[in-house]
Amino acid sequence: MKRAIIVFIVAALVLVSVGLWISSSSEAFKTFDVLSLVVIILVVGFALYIGFRRLTSAKRGEPAEDEMSKKVLLRTAAWSYYVSLYLWVAILFIKDRVTLDTEELIGAGILGMALSWVICWLILNFRGVRNE
Amino acid sequence: MNNRIKEFRARFKLTQDELAKKVNVRRETIVFLEKNKYNPSLKLAHDIAVVFSSKIEEIFIFD
Repeated sequence: MKRAIIVFIVAALVLVSVGLWISSSSEAFKTFDVLSLVVIILVVGFALYIGFRRLTSAKRGEPAEDEMSKKVLLRTAAWSYYVSLYLWVAILFIKDRVTLDTEELIGAGILGMALSWVICWLILNFRGVRNE
Repeated sequence: MNNRIKEFRARFKLTQDELAKKVNVRRETIVFLEKNKYNPSLKLAHDIAVVFSSKIEEIFIFD
Protein backbone atom coordinates (compact mmCIF):
# COMPACT_ATOMS: atom_id res chain seq x y z
CA MET A 1 0.00 0.00 0.00
CA LYS A 2 2.78 2.37 1.05
CA ARG A 3 4.77 1.57 -2.10
CA ALA A 4 1.71 2.07 -4.30
CA ILE A 5 1.27 5.56 -2.85
CA ILE A 6 4.96 6.32 -3.50
CA VAL A 7 4.52 5.19 -7.13
CA PHE A 8 1.52 7.52 -7.53
CA ILE A 9 3.42 10.46 -5.99
CA VAL A 10 6.45 9.92 -8.30
CA ALA A 11 4.15 9.60 -11.34
CA ALA A 12 2.35 12.82 -10.35
CA LEU A 13 5.68 14.65 -9.94
CA VAL A 14 6.84 13.47 -13.38
CA LEU A 15 3.55 14.61 -14.93
CA VAL A 16 3.82 18.02 -13.23
CA SER A 17 7.41 18.37 -14.52
CA VAL A 18 6.27 17.48 -18.05
CA GLY A 19 3.47 20.03 -17.74
CA LEU A 20 5.95 22.72 -16.68
CA TRP A 21 8.28 21.77 -19.55
CA ILE A 22 5.45 22.01 -22.10
CA SER A 23 4.12 25.33 -20.72
CA SER A 24 7.58 26.94 -20.49
CA SER A 25 8.84 25.95 -23.96
CA SER A 26 8.30 28.79 -26.39
CA GLU A 27 9.59 26.98 -29.48
CA ALA A 28 7.62 24.42 -31.46
CA PHE A 29 8.30 20.79 -30.51
CA LYS A 30 10.91 18.91 -32.56
CA THR A 31 10.56 15.23 -33.46
CA PHE A 32 12.94 14.30 -30.64
CA ASP A 33 10.82 16.21 -28.08
CA VAL A 34 7.65 14.49 -29.25
CA LEU A 35 9.40 11.10 -29.07
CA SER A 36 10.63 11.88 -25.53
CA LEU A 37 7.12 12.89 -24.51
CA VAL A 38 5.66 9.64 -25.84
CA VAL A 39 8.27 7.57 -23.96
CA ILE A 40 7.67 9.54 -20.72
CA ILE A 41 3.90 9.01 -21.01
CA LEU A 42 4.45 5.28 -21.68
CA VAL A 43 6.69 4.90 -18.61
CA VAL A 44 4.32 6.93 -16.38
CA GLY A 45 1.38 4.86 -17.68
CA PHE A 46 3.28 1.70 -16.80
CA ALA A 47 4.06 3.05 -13.30
CA LEU A 48 0.36 3.83 -12.77
CA TYR A 49 -0.54 0.29 -13.91
CA ILE A 50 1.90 -1.15 -11.33
CA GLY A 51 0.47 1.17 -8.66
CA PHE A 52 -3.12 0.10 -9.36
CA ARG A 53 -2.04 -3.57 -9.41
CA ARG A 54 -0.52 -3.18 -5.96
CA LEU A 55 -3.65 -1.41 -4.68
CA THR A 56 -6.00 -4.13 -5.96
CA SER A 57 -3.73 -6.79 -4.44
CA ALA A 58 -3.86 -5.00 -1.09
CA LYS A 59 -7.66 -4.77 -1.31
CA ARG A 60 -7.91 -8.52 -2.06
CA GLY A 61 -5.75 -9.25 0.97
CA GLU A 62 -2.87 -10.59 -1.13
CA PRO A 63 0.75 -9.61 -0.56
CA ALA A 64 1.87 -6.75 -2.82
CA GLU A 65 5.00 -8.73 -3.63
CA ASP A 66 5.65 -12.44 -3.47
CA GLU A 67 8.50 -14.72 -4.51
CA MET A 68 7.51 -14.76 -8.19
CA SER A 69 7.12 -10.99 -8.53
CA LYS A 70 10.49 -10.52 -6.76
CA LYS A 71 12.12 -13.01 -9.14
CA VAL A 72 10.57 -11.21 -12.14
CA LEU A 73 11.94 -7.88 -10.82
CA LEU A 74 15.39 -9.38 -10.28
CA ARG A 75 15.57 -10.86 -13.76
CA THR A 76 14.14 -7.67 -15.28
CA ALA A 77 16.95 -5.70 -13.62
CA ALA A 78 19.54 -8.11 -15.02
CA TRP A 79 18.12 -8.07 -18.57
CA SER A 80 17.64 -4.31 -18.71
CA TYR A 81 21.19 -3.80 -17.39
CA TYR A 82 22.58 -5.75 -20.36
CA VAL A 83 20.32 -3.89 -22.80
CA SER A 84 21.38 -0.54 -21.27
CA LEU A 85 25.08 -1.37 -21.74
CA TYR A 86 24.52 -1.95 -25.45
CA LEU A 87 22.29 1.13 -25.64
CA TRP A 88 25.03 3.40 -24.25
CA VAL A 89 27.61 1.82 -26.58
CA ALA A 90 25.26 2.53 -29.49
CA ILE A 91 24.78 6.14 -28.29
CA LEU A 92 28.56 6.62 -28.04
CA PHE A 93 28.88 5.24 -31.57
CA ILE A 94 26.23 7.51 -33.11
CA LYS A 95 27.01 10.68 -31.13
CA ASP A 96 29.21 12.15 -33.88
CA ARG A 97 26.84 11.09 -36.62
CA VAL A 98 23.65 12.82 -35.41
CA THR A 99 22.66 16.45 -34.95
CA LEU A 100 21.50 15.98 -31.33
CA ASP A 101 23.46 17.78 -28.61
CA THR A 102 24.93 16.09 -25.50
CA GLU A 103 21.94 16.85 -23.24
CA GLU A 104 19.52 15.35 -25.72
CA LEU A 105 21.69 12.24 -26.15
CA ILE A 106 21.90 11.73 -22.37
CA GLY A 107 18.12 12.24 -22.16
CA ALA A 108 17.62 9.70 -24.93
CA GLY A 109 19.88 7.25 -23.06
CA ILE A 110 17.96 7.63 -19.79
CA LEU A 111 14.60 7.29 -21.54
CA GLY A 112 15.94 4.27 -23.42
CA MET A 113 16.95 2.66 -20.13
CA ALA A 114 13.47 3.25 -18.68
CA LEU A 115 11.86 1.86 -21.83
CA SER A 116 14.11 -1.22 -21.86
CA TRP A 117 13.15 -1.89 -18.22
CA VAL A 118 9.44 -1.70 -19.07
CA ILE A 119 9.82 -3.97 -22.13
CA CYS A 120 11.90 -6.54 -20.19
CA TRP A 121 9.35 -6.55 -17.35
CA LEU A 122 6.46 -7.06 -19.77
CA ILE A 123 8.23 -9.95 -21.51
CA LEU A 124 9.15 -11.70 -18.25
CA ASN A 125 5.80 -11.05 -16.62
CA PHE A 126 3.86 -12.64 -19.46
CA ARG A 127 6.40 -15.35 -20.39
CA GLY A 128 7.02 -16.45 -16.80
CA VAL A 129 10.23 -17.22 -14.95
CA ARG A 130 11.54 -20.75 -15.06
CA ASN A 131 14.77 -22.10 -13.66
CA GLU A 132 16.32 -22.97 -16.99
CA MET B 1 9.19 -29.69 -13.84
CA ASN B 2 5.45 -30.38 -14.09
CA ASN B 3 2.88 -30.20 -11.34
CA ARG B 4 -0.60 -31.42 -10.42
CA ILE B 5 -1.75 -28.29 -8.57
CA LYS B 6 -4.86 -27.85 -10.73
CA GLU B 7 -5.89 -31.46 -10.12
CA PHE B 8 -5.33 -31.20 -6.35
CA ARG B 9 -7.08 -27.85 -6.24
CA ALA B 10 -10.16 -29.37 -7.90
CA ARG B 11 -10.03 -32.33 -5.48
CA PHE B 12 -9.93 -29.98 -2.47
CA LYS B 13 -12.53 -27.63 -4.06
CA LEU B 14 -10.26 -24.59 -3.75
CA THR B 15 -10.20 -21.60 -6.09
CA GLN B 16 -6.91 -20.10 -7.25
CA ASP B 17 -7.64 -17.12 -5.01
CA GLU B 18 -8.18 -19.29 -1.94
CA LEU B 19 -5.03 -21.32 -2.53
CA ALA B 20 -3.04 -18.11 -3.08
CA LYS B 21 -4.26 -16.74 0.27
CA LYS B 22 -3.46 -19.99 2.07
CA VAL B 23 0.15 -20.02 0.86
CA ASN B 24 0.50 -16.20 1.03
CA VAL B 25 1.26 -15.47 -2.64
CA ARG B 26 -0.48 -13.49 -5.39
CA ARG B 27 -3.14 -15.23 -7.49
CA GLU B 28 -0.97 -14.67 -10.57
CA THR B 29 1.69 -16.91 -9.05
CA ILE B 30 -0.80 -19.79 -8.79
CA VAL B 31 -1.87 -19.14 -12.41
CA PHE B 32 1.77 -19.29 -13.56
CA LEU B 33 2.44 -22.41 -11.49
CA GLU B 34 -0.52 -24.22 -13.05
CA LYS B 35 0.65 -23.25 -16.53
CA ASN B 36 4.15 -24.53 -15.70
CA LYS B 37 5.56 -21.08 -16.37
CA TYR B 38 7.12 -20.76 -12.94
CA ASN B 39 9.11 -23.13 -10.74
CA PRO B 40 8.36 -22.49 -7.07
CA SER B 41 10.89 -22.22 -4.27
CA LEU B 42 11.21 -25.18 -1.92
CA LYS B 43 9.28 -23.20 0.72
CA LEU B 44 6.32 -22.51 -1.59
CA ALA B 45 6.30 -26.12 -2.80
CA HIS B 46 6.26 -27.24 0.83
CA ASP B 47 3.46 -24.81 1.75
CA ILE B 48 1.36 -26.06 -1.18
CA ALA B 49 2.01 -29.67 -0.17
CA VAL B 50 0.90 -28.86 3.40
CA VAL B 51 -2.36 -27.29 2.11
CA PHE B 52 -3.08 -30.47 0.13
CA SER B 53 -1.88 -32.75 2.97
CA SER B 54 0.43 -34.48 0.49
CA LYS B 55 4.11 -34.97 -0.16
CA ILE B 56 5.95 -32.51 -2.43
CA GLU B 57 6.82 -35.28 -4.93
CA GLU B 58 3.12 -36.18 -5.28
CA ILE B 59 2.32 -32.64 -6.48
CA PHE B 60 5.51 -31.69 -8.30
CA ILE B 61 6.83 -34.08 -10.91
CA PHE B 62 10.53 -33.77 -11.67
CA ASP B 63 11.48 -34.78 -15.23
